[in-house]
Amino acid sequence: MSADSKVLDSWFLAEFATPEALVDATRQMREKYGYEGMDTYSPYPLHGGSEALGLPPSRVPFIALGGALTGMATAIAMMAYMNGYDYPINVGGRPIYSLPAYVPITFELTVLFAAFGIFFGLLGLSRLPQPYHPVYEHEAFRTATTHGYWLSVPKTVSVQADTIMEQLKSLGATQVTVVTGEKE
Amino acid sequence: MAETAATHLPPGVDPLEPRMLVAPHHDDASLNETLLDHVWRKPGKGWFLLFGIALVGLGMFLVAVTMTLARGIGVWGNNQPNGWAFDIVNFVWWVGIGHAGTLISAILLLFQQKWRTSINRFAEAMTIFAVICAGQFPLLHTGRPWFAFWLLPYPSTLGAWPQFRSPLDWDVFAVSTYFTVSLLFWYVGLIPDLAALRDSSPGKIQRVVYGLFSLGWRGSGRHWHNYKIGYLLLAGLSTPLVLSVHTIVSFDFATGLIPGWHATIFPPYFVAGAVFSGFAMVITLIVPARKYLNLRDVITDRHLENMNKVILATGLIVSYGYMMEHFIAWYSGSEYEIWTFYVNRARGPYWQVYWLMIACNVITPNIFWFRKCRTSIPIMWVASIVVNIGMWCERFIIIVTSLTQDFLPSSWDLYSPTWVDWCLYIGTLGLFSTLFLLFLKFVPAVAISEVKELQLELKHAAHHAAHGHDTHGAH
Repeated sequence: MSADSKVLDSWFLAEFATPEALVDATRQMREKYGYEGMDTYSPYPLHGGSEALGLPPSRVPFIALGGALTGMATAIAMMAYMNGYDYPINVGGRPIYSLPAYVPITFELTVLFAAFGIFFGLLGLSRLPQPYHPVYEHEAFRTATTHGYWLSVPKTVSVQADTIMEQLKSLGATQVTVVTGEKE
Repeated sequence: MAETAATHLPPGVDPLEPRMLVAPHHDDASLNETLLDHVWRKPGKGWFLLFGIALVGLGMFLVAVTMTLARGIGVWGNNQPNGWAFDIVNFVWWVGIGHAGTLISAILLLFQQKWRTSINRFAEAMTIFAVICAGQFPLLHTGRPWFAFWLLPYPSTLGAWPQFRSPLDWDVFAVSTYFTVSLLFWYVGLIPDLAALRDSSPGKIQRVVYGLFSLGWRGSGRHWHNYKIGYLLLAGLSTPLVLSVHTIVSFDFATGLIPGWHATIFPPYFVAGAVFSGFAMVITLIVPARKYLNLRDVITDRHLENMNKVILATGLIVSYGYMMEHFIAWYSGSEYEIWTFYVNRARGPYWQVYWLMIACNVITPNIFWFRKCRTSIPIMWVASIVVNIGMWCERFIIIVTSLTQDFLPSSWDLYSPTWVDWCLYIGTLGLFSTLFLLFLKFVPAVAISEVKELQLELKHAAHHAAHGHDTHGAH
């Protein structure tokens, strides 16, 4: 691929030899040159990768907490309404509203809703499922899930393509290519 | 099985230092090759042979289910007073087996036990399939499984709601939640590996199919950022969940008044028994699998030894449970309890099952005090099967001896299983094996991304301990 691609909606993809080189290059690109919206790609989470990208703390725990509280409230309200109000069942004169007997199901629904929160929260925050992404225009990028370490830098109007290529190469990139998002 | 584990450390090695978790000669690319290999390779004769046997078992299951549905559960050996028998024995046994999977994945992840990474995928798959098998029994036991949805709170035209103060309804919520959360946990752990499969596919069909299941995962740092915390939280949720599920299963008994059931020791004792049988099942499955799938580099002897230590520990807890049951029966002074524990179980009509249980569950695990037994592949494999038989006997003893002879001698009756009962039980073994073999064919048996991460950490640790030994590293 040539570097003279002038499409604005495009990404630079740089491969690095080791995870350490990738993390280091990411941090320098962001701190030294001020690039935003970059992303790293690796087969497993990079140590220090989130910090290098400058990501804020994940919102997944809050979504999980919301799910847990929803589950708890749902369970207690459900059992109190169904067994206490709408269809009271008298078993040997035992209390109709019986909180201790509600504990197991309340616990289970709390966990269930929290797990749904985590799962769908994870997908939502990551914008998955995503059947197509322009980075796959580059066939070599497929190593990102097996043994490659990649960095993507979105093209900005103000910076020349050659400059970005040079910067990436000086930080240790073994190959740099440009992919476009035209097909998206 | 001529293979034996290396038991001797090289000279000069500190015996307190942990031994290797991943064979040191691997890098990311070679790990891919080793760990993805069994998915891309054509399955061998051995796989087809096992799959054939599993399908025979599955056929037996279908025959037994058809018989049960066509004729009603009268074809089982259940009678009055033995309303619960083989079906509930098998249900509790299978749920228990599932527990090791969650424990390995969740508790060991929370405790940052690095040896877990190689076996968690395996163990979680085992959990899911075991819970599927477990679920068949209560469903069939309702007699009319097509009305099983009556157990769920749905706006029914009957105008009735389930009875939420009943432990049987707690079971419905506990087991279905357990299954759902285990499945989510397993799937979330699988996504990066499914993406790796997609990206190393030899053909277009595989790429599309694995592509669908991997949801477009591309190892993005922004995704990993959420993924790491999400996975950890799911593990955190699974940990109390696994304890609650078997606790609730034990409530089915403990809230009953039958002598032999009405015991406060039941929840912890059932959970320990579940871990005991679950880890034994992991050993039973992993020993042949690591051999035939060439996974010995990632499922090392240290893994097996650690699991045997867990079997020993939980076996001792189970033994303590038996002791307490007997002690409380004597201490309570209740003649019914004393009859059940000291006369009926040990010397009654099912005394063989009782003593088999003692031999399997109390005596067998103690061989793991000896390092030689903990590290010998043939010994641990046989012992793990013995433990599973023992735990099945335990559930049989708890349920059947308590029901056959309770308070009123005039209502006593013996229980014996019919061929349908046996077919159903062996059939679920076939169902389990079928699912497991399909899993081994289509999905990496080891969590590849986690092993790679561990590999990197080990390299770093080895680098820091510059004067150390190259096979060491993990703390």
